[in-house]
Parts: sequence; C-alpha cells; structure tokens
Amino acid sequence: MTDLTERERVSPIEPPDPPTTLSTDDQIVPMWRQRLRIFFHNKLAVASVVFLFLTIAACFLVPVLHPTNQTNQAATFGLPWNAAPSWHHWLGTDSSGFDELGRIFYGGEYSLTLGFVAGFITIVVGTTYGMISGFAGGITDTLMMRLIDAFLSIPYIFLLITLIAIFNRSTVFLICIIGFTLWWGNARIIRGDALLIRNLEYSQAATAMGARKWHIIRRHVFPNSISNIVTVATFSVADAILFLSALGFLGLGIQAPQTDWGTMLQAGTSQIQNGFWWEIYPLALVFILVVVSINYIGDALRDCFEVRLLER
Amino acid sequence: MFAYVVRRIIQAFFVLLIVMLLTFSLPYFQVHGIRAPAYTVLGTKATPYNVAIWAKQHGMDHSYFDRFWTYATQVLFHFNLGRSYKENSSVWGIISLYVPRTIWLAAVSLALTTIIAIPLGIYQAARRNTVGDYTATGVAFVLYAMPSFLLCMLLLDAFSFHGPHLPNSPPQGVQAWAMFTSPEGFILPVAALTMLSVAGLSRYMRGTVLEVLVQDYVRTAKAKGCSSRRTLFKHAFRNALGPIIVLLGLSIPALLGGALIIESVFNYAGLGIQTVFAAENLDVPTVLGITLLVAILTLLGNLLADIALGLVNPRIRIEGTKA
Repeated sequence: MTDLTERERVSPIEPPDPPTTLSTDDQIVPMWRQRLRIFFHNKLAVASVVFLFLTIAACFLVPVLHPTNQTNQAATFGLPWNAAPSWHHWLGTDSSGFDELGRIFYGGEYSLTLGFVAGFITIVVGTTYGMISGFAGGITDTLMMRLIDAFLSIPYIFLLITLIAIFNRSTVFLICIIGFTLWWGNARIIRGDALLIRNLEYSQAATAMGARKWHIIRRHVFPNSISNIVTVATFSVADAILFLSALGFLGLGIQAPQTDWGTMLQAGTSQIQNGFWWEIYPLALVFILVVVSINYIGDALRDCFEVRLLER
Repeated sequence: MFAYVVRRIIQAFFVLLIVMLLTFSLPYFQVHGIRAPAYTVLGTKATPYNVAIWAKQHGMDHSYFDRFWTYATQVLFHFNLGRSYKENSSVWGIISLYVPRTIWLAAVSLALTTIIAIPLGIYQAARRNTVGDYTATGVAFVLYAMPSFLLCMLLLDAFSFHGPHLPNSPPQGVQAWAMFTSPEGFILPVAALTMLSVAGLSRYMRGTVLEVLVQDYVRTAKAKGCSSRRTLFKHAFRNALGPIIVLLGLSIPALLGGALIIESVFNYAGLGIQTVFAAENLDVPTVLGITLLVAILTLLGNLLADIALGLVNPRIRIEGTKA
C-alpha cells in the first residue's frame, strides 16, 4: 500500500530571483532587521546588553589578566582582614583577607556560568517537553500536564533543598539540578503556544497538504513560538542566578574554596553590623544590575517579537 | 458550582498522588541508596551490620512498591507521616509545632499583599506612563531582581541595627498569635515577605488592569458619561478581579518559598528552617512530610482561588455545572 503522503513531491518551479535593485532598504526590510531596529530603539535595553556584556567580559578576563589570590587561605596570612578600601585593594578585603574586587569577578564566573548554562538546559528541556505535550494531545498531553501541575505545586526552593541534600553538591551537579528542574513553567508556556499554533489555519493547511508532524513543528510551530522561547529563556537565566544565590545563602551553594555571588553576599551580610560596607554593597549593586538587565533584555525581546509593533 | 468544585477537588487529589509518588521515589536516587541516612544517624563509622539492622527497623527490606503502598495508605487514611530518622518523634509531632507559625506569616503577608498590590495595579494602569507608574515599576523591578535574603538584611540594617531598633528576630516559643498582641518582632519578617510578593505580582497586576481598560465595554461606559472613578471601579475592576484572584492563588508557592528564606534570616522558627535542618541531616521522612504539606497548602490555595473565581465570574460557574 502506498501512502500518498510518502510520494516524491514534485518540486515547484523556482521563482525567478527578484531584481537586485528592488531589495533596497526602504522597500523590503527583512523581519530580523525590523526586529533589531525595535530592539535598538529601546535605549535602556541596549544599555542592559552593554552592561551585561561588560560584566561577563570582566568576570572572565580580569581573573586571567590580573590574577588575585582567591582560593589559597594560607597565602592570606599576615594580610589585613576586613581592610577598608585603599589604593592596594580598591574594594578592601573580605573577612578571609581576599581582595574583594577580584573576588567579585571570581565569584561572578561561577554565578554567570551557572545561570547561563542552567538557563540553556531549562529552555531546551522545556521546549522539547512542551512541544511533545502540545502535539501529542489526548491522554498523553493530560498526563504530561498533570505531572507539571504536581511539580509546580511544590514550592521550588523546598524541592531544590531536598534535591541538593540527596545528591552531590559539586558545581556540575548544581547546574544540572537547577537546569533540569526549572523548566516546568516554561514547558507549560511552550505547550500553550504549540497547541495554539497547531490549530491555526496555516498549520491546518499544511496538514491538509500532507505535511508530517515533524515538518509542521519545524517550519510553523517553532518559528512562531520563538518569541516566547527566547523571552522565557532570558527570564530563566535570571531565575537560575537568583536561586543559586538563595542556595548560597543557605550554605548549599558552590562549595569552598570556590565561591559564587550568593555565598559572597551571605558572607558580606554577616559583616553588616560591623559597618564593613565594602563587603556587601558593591557586590549587591553589581548583582542587582545584572539581574535587572537580564530581565530588561527579556522584556525588550518580547516587545521586538510583538508583531503589532513591526513597521510602525 | 458544586460539580465544578468537586471536579477541581478530584483533580487536585490526583496531582497530590503524583507529588507523593515523586517525593517518595527521590530518596532512592541517593548516592548510597535509601540507606544513606543511616550514616548520618549512626555515624560515618557504622558497620554494615548496624546499617542493616537500622534499615530493617525502618522497613527498608521491603520492595519499593510495598513501601510506597504502606506510605500512601498511612498518609491518606491515618494521616501518619512516619517517624523522623533523627529526632525521637513522629514527623507530624515535629511539623505541628511549626505549621501555625508559617501559615500565619504567609497569611498575614498575603492579606497585606492583596491590600497593597491591587490598588497599586489599578493606580499604575490608570496613570500609566506617569512618574508614579515608572517609580513603582522601577522599585518592583529592583526588588524582584534582589535575592530575598539581601532585602531582609537591608531592612535589618535600616530598621534594626540603626534607626528605630526593632527586634531583629521575633520572640521564640510564643504562639503565632503574638503577632497581634506584641507585633514589634514580627514587623520586619512580615514586611519583607510582603514586599517580595508585591514586587513579584505588581508587574502582572498592572498588565491585567491595563488589558481590561482597553476593552470595548470600558470605552462604552466612558462614552455614556460614566465618571472616570465609576468606570474604573464599577466596570474595569470587577472584570479584572478574576485574573487578579488567579494571580494571588498562583503566588502561594512563591510566598511559601520566600517564607523559607525569610524564616532563615530572621530566625523565625517555622517550616522553612525545619526543612533546611532536616535536609542537612538527611532526615528523609521529615523532608517528605514538609514537602507534602507545603504541596497540599499550594493545592488548597489554587483550589480556593478557583472557587473564588467561580464566585465572581458567573460564566465559569455555569460552564462548570454543565460539564
């Protein structure tokens, strides 16, 4: 039995290339360039991107270019502890005698890497799960979504603490634990998108013309839900950084001698009564600005994927 | 309405079963299997013989399914969450001391959040793109981006170590009722939790009210000569109330999660501190019990939100009755 949909498709006649003179900027503006224009119109979003880029660059370059001792406790012997900012230590030293400014960059390496990797895992898993659920439909969809309901009904930090108590506390495990557990909300959003787009006229037309499910996902559903995927991914990165810092506060974050921003903030907060402001406020400022700019970029991305704002 | 509520309760019950299955299965993934806690209870030098005896005492020689069946029937029909590995007490005995304190903290914060967030959302939507709107959005953005323990520390720095010298920790060993009789110690924890949840909600609140304000019926109300206040509260607010209730219901997991951090900062003896303590000691039954309880509270919150939604929105009520 031959399946009609399995036939070799007759390749349509290639339309002639449009004359190059037509594709000037004011006549055919590619979608991505319009979107880029909307994004660059948003000055605060551009500032956020620049700030985030500079912070990431600093966190990864400064410890290489200007290494400061951040791990060897023995080498700090004789150095001043909790020293106020001076020419030698621009942001003073912390309660172990480590240079505070260098430590901000050093801890940032871990926080930012973890945030971005966990955010990436989150979005890959969430998108896959959401697409499968939205496309499978029926009892599979119901079961998959009830499972998400169950996950979401446990406040996240409780689950995180339980998981970390049970599993290993190494950095790689932390990334995996956060990455593989933060995607539930994302999966639900993507599933909603998949369900919506699957039932739109162009998807139905493609189905009627014999397109297979995979083709519809690849050519119709994925490109049209990319706005939500990108936005949700951005917020996931910010959430991952925040949850890691909460774990750092509870002493469950990245283990010594490595450190991350959450652990550093926790160490700084215990010095707050002594008036050692340099151990907390500069880092707090950087931390808040990083998370604010990630969230702001997410907002701006959502705006620039908003079709109604195109070609205004 | 009744059929709608019953259907929602049955759904919540199934979700609860899944939660139980998930949390029950987790300890099997420990590095040393389900016997791992033996080493924290008996010490790291425990002999295999002692570990085997300990495991048998806790019914670990039974199969996975046997154990889950016992656990599920004990929880569902006898409200028995098992015995703690670490403390010589039942899990419920440990939890019951702390449940009221956490619930009071969360409930008072939720009430304050409602009182603050709803008018704020209406104000921001009605006066959108003004200085007031931008300020509120900016403050919420910063609060949302801040680790919750940092906010607590800043509050402590400003109001406890300096300034009015409020107590930095609520009194221990008193009933949560003390929140109303001698509130000084409770001001900071409640304020911190309220600020966090207002910050988390305010962005959605503004959007929700804004979405209603652009609807045709609001324009019609204005066109027929309704005063702007009457339009806002009689036409817009009534319709925005549904999504607002859902938002409040969905904010409960975040509220309880925030309570965990806040309890740790302010040393407020509640479920959160107990979870951290039990998790560090691999006291699996206590962790499972607390997680289950918190999940029940969340589901209960969602259920109440759904019922409230049915009460304010007749369309849902009627649909539910038909189905």
